Amino acid sequence: MSTSTSKGAFDFDQMLQTIKDKQWSLADIDWGAPGAELVTDEVRAKMKPFMADLVWIEHVGARGFASLAKKAPTPTIKRIYEYFHAEEQKHANAELALMKRWGMLDEDGNPPEPNINVKLAIKVLDDYGDTLPLTGLATLIPLLECALDGALVKFLLDEVHDPVCHEVFRHINSDEARHITVDFQVLELIGAGPLHKLLIESLALLQPQVIIGLIVVFTPLINKMRDNIVAMGLPEQKLYNAVKRFATIGSRGAHTARIPAYHVLKAQAAMVVDRTSPYHRLLADPMVKLTSFVPARVLGKPQAWVDELTHEPIAS
Amino acid sequence: MTTQGTYDGQLLRGDEWRGRDFTGQSVAVIAHGHEAAAIVPEVARTARAVKVFQEEPDWLLPATLPLPALLRRPVARLHLRLAVRDPWTRRRLTPDHRFNTRRPRTDGHYYAVLQQPHCTLISWPVYALVPGGVRSAEGIEHHVDCIILGTTAAHREDLQ
Repeated sequence: MSTSTSKGAFDFDQMLQTIKDKQWSLADIDWGAPGAELVTDEVRAKMKPFMADLVWIEHVGARGFASLAKKAPTPTIKRIYEYFHAEEQKHANAELALMKRWGMLDEDGNPPEPNINVKLAIKVLDDYGDTLPLTGLATLIPLLECALDGALVKFLLDEVHDPVCHEVFRHINSDEARHITVDFQVLELIGAGPLHKLLIESLALLQPQVIIGLIVVFTPLINKMRDNIVAMGLPEQKLYNAVKRFATIGSRGAHTARIPAYHVLKAQAAMVVDRTSPYHRLLADPMVKLTSFVPARVLGKPQAWVDELTHEPIAS
Repeated sequence: MTTQGTYDGQLLRGDEWRGRDFTGQSVAVIAHGHEAAAIVPEVARTARAVKVFQEEPDWLLPATLPLPALLRRPVARLHLRLAVRDPWTRRRLTPDHRFNTRRPRTDGHYYAVLQQPHCTLISWPVYALVPGGVRSAEGIEHHVDCIILGTTAAHREDLQ
């Protein structure tokens, strides 16, 4: 799938049709097929926290697309984002179903409890997600998707040899390729807009809640996950490649480079993957430590979307 | 990729739901907000369970009020705020002011009925009808005894 923006406008209507044509369901997967036994006790213990993080990141990402839908520049892009919102939810549901298949859920099949950094992200999305300017979220989401797609999922598929897992991720990767294509095409659209609008939106991103959100929520969330998976054996090169992909696709566009948020997040991502950067010593590591002391109850009750996860392919 | 098939339950289009008894049945309603506001309160009176697949929300007024056009949306917004306490449900019932140009309609107790325990609001896009029921884009197949397609949904080629 092309992500180039060379000549002529990208056909978002055609993309929406493709998205509709490529829908798949958890009911298409045989969750009882042989292969679950390939996940040994050792792999199960090792992968359980990783899978829990993955499920929650997809679920929170889904909520991010719901916010993007509120800001979409055209009705077609809005509809695409509504589909992406649902598809990210589908990925979280499918990953939860894999956790169930591998015996990683409790007897009632309840979703795993999110860690404090995920809870903080949920709180920020509930409070500010819908009021953030389009440029901020529209830049952040492709970065997360490049990381998810390029590093985390590849790591999972290297570690787990269950054929059902590979079948599920063939679907997920195909969806994600479309997400990344659209994400960058929207950045092109935003970048091609009038300079004064870009500047106003970028200045709007300097609100205290955005800056604090970035430092207190995003920074430790990403760092904790980064260190967890590197400790599990993910080669740092894969993280580096994922961030490089974000920069490479972004640089292909003619207008993306006009978006200040793109440069800020690209720079932050480069520091995240480089463990020797002072970013870790001075900011990220202390934030991981500090947030670990935040009692979840001060965050209040999250909105009802956090209860929408399910591993059941069929609801009656 | 999409496993299509013919729905094997009762399929009602347009106005065919009127005057029917749905006792003991689980029903899916696929419709725009203003259509769902007319269909759901009536169906929920007799049905065992109702899943409302809302294609797009619309502004709804609590009653037929003689309001000037300028006041209709603010009143509809206030009505939604007062009638639905859960913020996530309210968000999903809020129309996009940029693209939704339909004038506000009358609620018909839609908001109240939606919050009854046997009613579920689902805002995921529906992409296919299959033998057991409805497939929506969050990856779940919803099995129901009866599907009601609103006027717009009844004309969608992918739901035939």
